[in-house]
Amino acid sequence: MKEFKDMHSSIRSRYLAIGVALFFLGFSVAVFAAPFSVVDDQGVVVVFDKPPQRVVSLLPSLTESVCALGKCDALVGIDRFSNWPKSIQNLPKLGGVGDVNIERIVQLKPDVVLLEKASPVIARLNSLGIQTFALDIKSMGDEDRALQKLDLVLGTTESARVWNQIQKEIMRANKQLSLQGKNIRVYFEINPAPYAAGGSSFIGEILSQLNLINIIPKSLGPFPKINPEFVVQAKPDVILLTESTTTDIQKRPGWNTIPAVSNNRICVFTSEQNDVLVRPGPRMGEAALIISQCIQEKMSSPR
Amino acid sequence: MQKNYFLAKLSGLLILSTILVLLGTLLGSTGANWNALGPDQTILFDIRLPRSLGAYLAGALLGLAGGIAQSLFRNPLADPYLLGSASGALLGVGSILCFAYLGNSWLEIIGLNGGAFLGALIGVLASLLLAGGYRSSLRLLLSGVVISVILGAANSLFTFIRPDLFQSIQSFMLGNTTLMNWSGVAIMAIALFLCLAITSIISPVLDALSLGENTARTLGLPLDQLRLVFIGILALATGCAVAQTGLVAFVGLAAPHLVRKLSGGRQRVQLIFSCLGGGILLLGSDLIARTLFAPLEIPVGIVTAVLGGLYLLVLLKRTSFGGRS
Amino acid sequence: MKTHQLSIYRGPCAILTDLNLNIPQGQWTSIIGPNGAGKSSLLQAMAGLLRHTGSLSLEGVELSTMTRKALAKKMAWLDQQGASSPEEFGDSLSVYDTVMLGRLPYQGWLHLPSEADHISVEKVLQQTDAWHLRYRPLQQLSGGERQRVLLARLLAVDSDILLMDEPLANLDPPHQADFLKWQGNLLAQGKTLVTVLHEIHFALRADHLIMLNKGRLHFQGSSQDPRTHQALIELFDGRIRLEKLGNDWVAIPS
Repeated sequence: MKEFKDMHSSIRSRYLAIGVALFFLGFSVAVFAAPFSVVDDQGVVVVFDKPPQRVVSLLPSLTESVCALGKCDALVGIDRFSNWPKSIQNLPKLGGVGDVNIERIVQLKPDVVLLEKASPVIARLNSLGIQTFALDIKSMGDEDRALQKLDLVLGTTESARVWNQIQKEIMRANKQLSLQGKNIRVYFEINPAPYAAGGSSFIGEILSQLNLINIIPKSLGPFPKINPEFVVQAKPDVILLTESTTTDIQKRPGWNTIPAVSNNRICVFTSEQNDVLVRPGPRMGEAALIISQCIQEKMSSPR
Repeated sequence: MQKNYFLAKLSGLLILSTILVLLGTLLGSTGANWNALGPDQTILFDIRLPRSLGAYLAGALLGLAGGIAQSLFRNPLADPYLLGSASGALLGVGSILCFAYLGNSWLEIIGLNGGAFLGALIGVLASLLLAGGYRSSLRLLLSGVVISVILGAANSLFTFIRPDLFQSIQSFMLGNTTLMNWSGVAIMAIALFLCLAITSIISPVLDALSLGENTARTLGLPLDQLRLVFIGILALATGCAVAQTGLVAFVGLAAPHLVRKLSGGRQRVQLIFSCLGGGILLLGSDLIARTLFAPLEIPVGIVTAVLGGLYLLVLLKRTSFGGRS
Repeated sequence: MKTHQLSIYRGPCAILTDLNLNIPQGQWTSIIGPNGAGKSSLLQAMAGLLRHTGSLSLEGVELSTMTRKALAKKMAWLDQQGASSPEEFGDSLSVYDTVMLGRLPYQGWLHLPSEADHISVEKVLQQTDAWHLRYRPLQQLSGGERQRVLLARLLAVDSDILLMDEPLANLDPPHQADFLKWQGNLLAQGKTLVTVLHEIHFALRADHLIMLNKGRLHFQGSSQDPRTHQALIELFDGRIRLEKLGNDWVAIPS
């Protein structure tokens, strides 16, 4: 009689153990298979069953961010202007801003399409059953937020590392410039009309991170069309331009009185460098270094 | 009796022009700056004076060209760009920008300004060739429209292939007086003098045209040759203006209408006044463009469209309410 | 004016061929014919506006050898007037300036009016009773006033020969009467008139008739000549008959 009672309790505890084990197993499976949601920059709650395996990116900075987070191989399609890193250059090009190739996108059967908040094709893609994830990328803070959200979407945990890397590069750039002393006045021209990069633009943010004084005040907006007289009166120490906009800047009337022009402190960036400078992406540390490198060169050379 | 009025009106327009040029030296990136000359101001004379004079001369060239276009084709909607000069200039600028990386010395000499000028001339030449000569006004007008459309499509294709150049081309399209220098002023002054002199001499043929082509011919005028000369002046004036300031809208169209009340129908007077009116319109617009939101600049083409358009609206309303007196 | 084997071309096409005409001086010659016969083209060729082969001579001088200005002083042209074009763009030229345009053949390179030009303009404006209108813009005139101004412009050329293309079309009868009266005055001054008309009863008032049909000369002769009347009826395939009404001959559909 006693043996029967003992036998019952041992069987019961064994069943209990198996039951608990099964419960935990099932629970963990459920956890791994659970759908998750991330809020994109439009405020739309996007639900994923699992991290997307096929990703289309329609913005160069988003393409670069995805690759920086280590998910380059998940990309199946990019836009016409994405050109970094080299490994993605053979992916199908799906158009630019005004001419997105919607048919091709549908053919690629992506799990998610990453694009700009203001893109005109969001509604069309959604109506075709394609999941979109919209991000607003205009400033450094935007990219920080985007990296974190992409981490959640792609199921990676690299955003903090990437951001740290960026900060390190910016610090290095700052060190380069600290030897030149403070209060270097700069003027960044993006277009020979002339349109300048103001304080509130992405380039302007980089310039202020490097403690450079942008002669264009923040109040004028991100890319103001500026009266060239203003530049002459403001007398910047260095002028920053891209290759495609250099049209004899020294010959402009009255500009030979600007210290930057008379001392030949004009930084001309190639189109590859320009890509880095204008994209608020994971390479913004490199952007800071490009700028600081050139300024340090120009300021330390005798003439 | 009528001659006196002419001199009075002419002086009035010239005085207004001088006032505007003087204002141009005072207004700039610091807003309305009424200070007397300071140490910095000498530099600003290097910038503001050529810019003001240049805007005036470009407007004068466009006004003259617009007046000629409207009188030659007897069409109130004609403007200096209608023979393909605008699209041609745009294509010229685009080509120079596109091939700039080649570093060819020819391209450097021509520069953007030269490219615009050559492009404008080529556009007009293409219209003449397509029309098979200058004998028929209607054919010329139609072929001008066709050439404009074709070259415009070529430009769109161009910006599609090279989107990085789009912003540079766009600033050309909206008109730009900001970087005018003394050599540009000199070129335009010479061109204006030439065009205005020739126009003043041969303008009676346009008066005769108002009686009909046949009548004009029987009055002993070499109509076809003179028509060709006028088209040449149109191309030259438009090309020079566009080369320096880009495609400023509306000045060529509006200036002749604005001065029509003053000219009493005589073509010689109408064309001279269109010239002065165009200069006043463009310089006035430039002053507003650089002062309103200083140091920000509004594209001058936008201001000319608003100013010219508003004044035309006022004129239209006045005639429709006043009826035919 | 005489022509011999004259052919007139508009572009590559021959509009009229093999014309031998004789237009007497100091008289009124009228050119008539069915639509498309080439009446206006003949008149334009006489004014030197169309290419021709063969001989077209004026007082013995070949037209093609005359300079543009010399021809302009010899011949004045009055164009066909449209039905009503008061809103025509660019018609704000004053009456005085419009008439002054008639003096263009006499002016030098700069086309500045001389004293003689001013005198001439005043004279013709008085003649056509339009002097009081001289500062008004052309577009503000009524149809009849406009016709008078254009006639004044014609007279200002002070030429011996006046060529007029459908001058009476688009005028109401009172104005037509006025015009014919002025024409009579001009003939009395010894001028030669050549007009294109499609109104047969007006054409029959002329001294001389030239009939064109399908690009060829059908008949030319005096308007009082019965042979001319016969030719006229033939020209219109017998669909008209001519009746005398007072002093005038009238064409009535038969």
